[in-house]
Amino acid sequence: MTQEQNNENFSFKKYAWNQFKKNKIALVCLYLLFTLVIVALFAPYIANERPLYAQYKGYTLYPAFASDNQTDSIFGTSGTLEDVLQYDITDWRSLDLDKVIWPLIPYSPGGMDRYNRDYVSPNGKQRFKNAEGLITDVPKKFRHHLGTDGIGRDLASGLIHGTRISLMVGLVSMGIASLIGIFLGALAGFFGDNKLKMTRIRYYFTLIGIFFGFFYGFGQRKYAISEGFSNGINSGMIELIISFTLIFVVVYLFRFISKFITLKSLNKEMYIPIDTFVSRGIELLNSIPRLLLIITITAVVERSIWIVMIIIGITGWTGIARFTRAEFLRIRSLEFVQAAQSLGFSNLRTIFKHALPNALAPVFVSIAFGIASAILIESGLSFLGIGVPDDIVTWGSLLNLGRQNLEAWWLIIYPGIAIFLTITIYNMIAEASRDALDPRLKS
Amino acid sequence: MFKYTIKRVLTFIPMLIAISLLSFVISINAPGDPVERLSKAAGNEGSAEQQSGASKKIKQELRKKLGLDLPIFYLSISDIATSDTLYKIQDKYHKANLEHLTHMSGNWGLVSDYYNELLKIQDIHRTLKPKEVFKYNNNITLNEINEVTNQVGFDIGSLLETSDQELVDLKLNTIGNSLENYTFLSPLNDSYQKIKKLNLDILNSSMKWKTYIPSINWYGANNQYHLWLFGNGKDRQGLVRGDFGISYIDSQPISTKIWQKIGISFSLSLISIFLAYLISIPIGIYSAYKKDSATDKGLSLILFILYSMPSFFVGTLLLLQFANPDNLSWFPVSGIQDPTLFDPEWGFWTKIKHRMPYLILPIITYTYGSFAFLSRIMRVGMIDIVSQDYIRTARAKGLGEGKVILKHALRNSLLPVITVFAAIFPMAIGGSIIIEVIFSIPGMGVEIYNSILNYDYPMIITVFTLSGFLTMIGYLVADLLYAVVDPRISYK
Repeated sequence: MTQEQNNENFSFKKYAWNQFKKNKIALVCLYLLFTLVIVALFAPYIANERPLYAQYKGYTLYPAFASDNQTDSIFGTSGTLEDVLQYDITDWRSLDLDKVIWPLIPYSPGGMDRYNRDYVSPNGKQRFKNAEGLITDVPKKFRHHLGTDGIGRDLASGLIHGTRISLMVGLVSMGIASLIGIFLGALAGFFGDNKLKMTRIRYYFTLIGIFFGFFYGFGQRKYAISEGFSNGINSGMIELIISFTLIFVVVYLFRFISKFITLKSLNKEMYIPIDTFVSRGIELLNSIPRLLLIITITAVVERSIWIVMIIIGITGWTGIARFTRAEFLRIRSLEFVQAAQSLGFSNLRTIFKHALPNALAPVFVSIAFGIASAILIESGLSFLGIGVPDDIVTWGSLLNLGRQNLEAWWLIIYPGIAIFLTITIYNMIAEASRDALDPRLKS
Repeated sequence: MFKYTIKRVLTFIPMLIAISLLSFVISINAPGDPVERLSKAAGNEGSAEQQSGASKKIKQELRKKLGLDLPIFYLSISDIATSDTLYKIQDKYHKANLEHLTHMSGNWGLVSDYYNELLKIQDIHRTLKPKEVFKYNNNITLNEINEVTNQVGFDIGSLLETSDQELVDLKLNTIGNSLENYTFLSPLNDSYQKIKKLNLDILNSSMKWKTYIPSINWYGANNQYHLWLFGNGKDRQGLVRGDFGISYIDSQPISTKIWQKIGISFSLSLISIFLAYLISIPIGIYSAYKKDSATDKGLSLILFILYSMPSFFVGTLLLLQFANPDNLSWFPVSGIQDPTLFDPEWGFWTKIKHRMPYLILPIITYTYGSFAFLSRIMRVGMIDIVSQDYIRTARAKGLGEGKVILKHALRNSLLPVITVFAAIFPMAIGGSIIIEVIFSIPGMGVEIYNSILNYDYPMIITVFTLSGFLTMIGYLVADLLYAVVDPRISYK
C-alpha cells in the first residue's frame, strides 16, 4: 500500500477499486448487477409475444420494435387487401409467417395464453395452437419454461419485465432520497447550529418568502399541477418543476428586497440553528415505522407504481442525511475547506464543489443499502397487493399469486429467488464497497 | 435518571403534535365521503321517498357527529377571493367545485350567487311531478316526461360538481334545449337564464388579481383537528382520552376493535423476539470465541444470505413445504386454532396445546425476521469488543477464555442489541402485516390489511398514530436500558 501511495498517480478511487476487487464474491455480484441492468434495458426484446423479425406474405416486419398502436395493411400479389395487422392484438403465433425470429421468450408479461391457463407447471403438459389452428403438444420454442399463472400469463416473461420495475424502484426512490438526504445532511453538517449567520431582517424575509413561495407555487398552482398529472406523468413533472422554480424565485426576491431595508435594530446578525431543524426532522421520521407510513400514504393516494417509488424515496432519506451530516461535521474543519473559505468562495460553492465530493463515500454505501431495502419494500407492498396497480406484473405480485395457490410452486420459488438475489446483490456490493471505501468500518 | 426521563418525555410533545398533524393531514385527504360510507353501512329501509328523507337526516346527524360541519384546522391559508365560510358547505364535491370556480374568477360573490341559483333550480326541479305533468299534457308520454326530468336533474347535479368550462357549456346547452322543447319545464326558465348569465359573468370576471393575495383566516378551537384530538366533552372524547372514532366498516369503536386483536400480535412478537435473542446471543458468543475460524466465516456468510432473504418469501416457502398436501402436511395452512374443536372454557395450557401446531410456522417466520438481523449485529459487536484493551487485560491476568467472553465481553456487546428491543412496542400494534396475512392470523396486521382494502381510514390513521407514539416510548425504554446494562452511561 505504501508503494501505491508513493506512486504519483495514486488516487483514492483507484485504491478503493483495488480493495473492492479483492472481494471476489462482491465482484461476482457486480457482474450480476450488470446482467440485471442489461436484462431490464432489453426486456421487451428478450420477452415479447411479437417476433423480432418476421416475413409475412412478402412483407418484412419488425413487430417487437414497433409501437403498440401501429397498424399494417397487408396486400396480396394482386393488390387486394388480405389482412390488417393491428400490432397490439394480433396473435403472431397463429399467423403463417414465412420467416421469423422470435425473442428468447415468445410471451409478453401481460399476454394471456388461453390454452395454458390454470397454473400450468413448467414440466407438465402444455398445449399449443399451431398455424393450422390445431391444438397440439407445445413445441419447444413456445414452452412456458417457468410455467404460467391462473390466467395463462408466462412466468418467465413476468420475471424479466419485473426486473425493470425492481431496478427502477431502486433507482428512482433512492434518487429522490439521496437528493433530499444529501442536501439536508450537507447543510446541517456544514453549518451546524452556529455557523450560518444572517441579519434578522434577512431571516424574517426569507421566512416570509418561503410562505409566499409555497402560496404561489403550490396553493395557487394546485389546479395546474393536478391537471398536469391527469394528462400524464411528463406534463405533471413539468408543472411541478415550474412550481419549484417559482418558489425559488419568490424566496430569492424577498431576500433581495431585504437588502434595501436598513433598520439598525433589524440588522443584527443571528444564527440559524439549521442542524437542529434537520436533526429533529430525521428524528421525527425515524419515530414512525416506515412500512406503516408508506402503507398509510399509499392507502390514501391513487394506485400507481410511480407514486410508490416517490413515497419510498421521501420516507427513506434519513439514513443518507445522517451519514452526510456526520461526514460534513468532520470535513468542515479540514484544511482544504478552510482554504476554500478563506479564498472567499461562496458557501454553496464550498459545500457542493469542495466538500461534497469528499463526503460521498459513506453516503454511497448508505444509498446501496437503501436500494436493497427499497426493493424489499416495493416487493412487500406488491406481495400484499397494496399501492401497485393489479395490471403491473412485479416479482412481489407473482409471489402473491403463488401464495394464493400453493400447488403452483413455480410461482413461489422463481419470483422469490429473483427478489432474494437482487437484494443480496445490492447488500453484498454495499458491504464490499463499505469495506473498500473506509477500512476503519470493516467488520 | 428521573430528571432525564422527564426531559425526554417533554420532548415527546412536539413530536406527538407533529405525528398527529401528519396523520390528520393524511386522513382529511383520504378519498371518498365518510358520511356516505357510514350511512351506507347503517342501512335504510322504507320507500324510496321516505328513504331519501330519512337518509338525509341521518347524513346530517353523522356529519355533525363527525364534526365535518366545522372548519378543518385552527387557521386556514387561502387567497382573499375565497370565502372563509366555505367549510360550511356540506357536500365535498360541491365544496371543491366552488373553490375551483373562485380560483378561476376571483369573485366569490358571483360564485356564491351562481351556486345558490343552482340550488334553487334543483329545488324547483324537485317539485316537478311527472305524473301531474302528464295529466295536463297529453301530447307526450309519461315515459318521455320521466326521461326528460331525470336528464335535467342529472345535468343540474353535475353542474353543481364541475368547473370544467367545456362540460358546463355542454350541460347548460342540453338543459336549454330541453327547456325549449318541453313547455312543462317552464318553471325552471327564470333560474336557468340567471345561471347562464352568472356563468358568463364568472368567465369574464376581472377579479382574478384577488386570488394572488394570500389571507389567513383564524377559526379558533372549534375545528375538526381540535375535535379529533381533544373531543368536545360530550359524545366525542378525543384522541388524547383514547377515543379513536368509529370504523367505517361496521361502525364499531376503533379502540374495541384494537383491544380484541392486539393480544395475539403482541404475544407473537414477544415470543419471537425472545427466541431471536435466544439464538443470536450464542451465535455472537461463538463468533467471538472462534474468531476467523472457517466456521465463523461460513456462519457470517450464511447470516448475510439469511439477512437478505425477505421474510414473506420464507413464510411462503414454509407453507409450500410444510403445510401443503403435495409435500408435507405437518401443519395447518391458516388461522390460530381449529374452529371445530375450540371450547371457550379451556384453560391456558389446553389452549396453547391446541393452538401450537397453528403457531409454529408463524413463529418461525416471525423469529426469522429479527434473528438474522440480530445475529449479525451481535456478531459484529462481539468481535469488536473482543479486540478491546480491557479484554486483553482480562486475558493477561489469566482468566479463562469462557469467563472473559461471558463475563467481560457479553454485557458490553448487548448495547446495540437493545436498540432492536425498542422495535417491539410498535410491532405489537402494527403487527407484522405481511406475516399475519400469509398465515391468516387474526391479529392487528390482518386488521390493518383489511382496513386498507376496505378504505377504513380511521383504523389506518389510529394505528399509524399509536405506532408513532409507541416507537418513541420504545426508544426511551431502550435508552434507559442502556444505562442499566452499562453503568458508564448515566443520564445526568
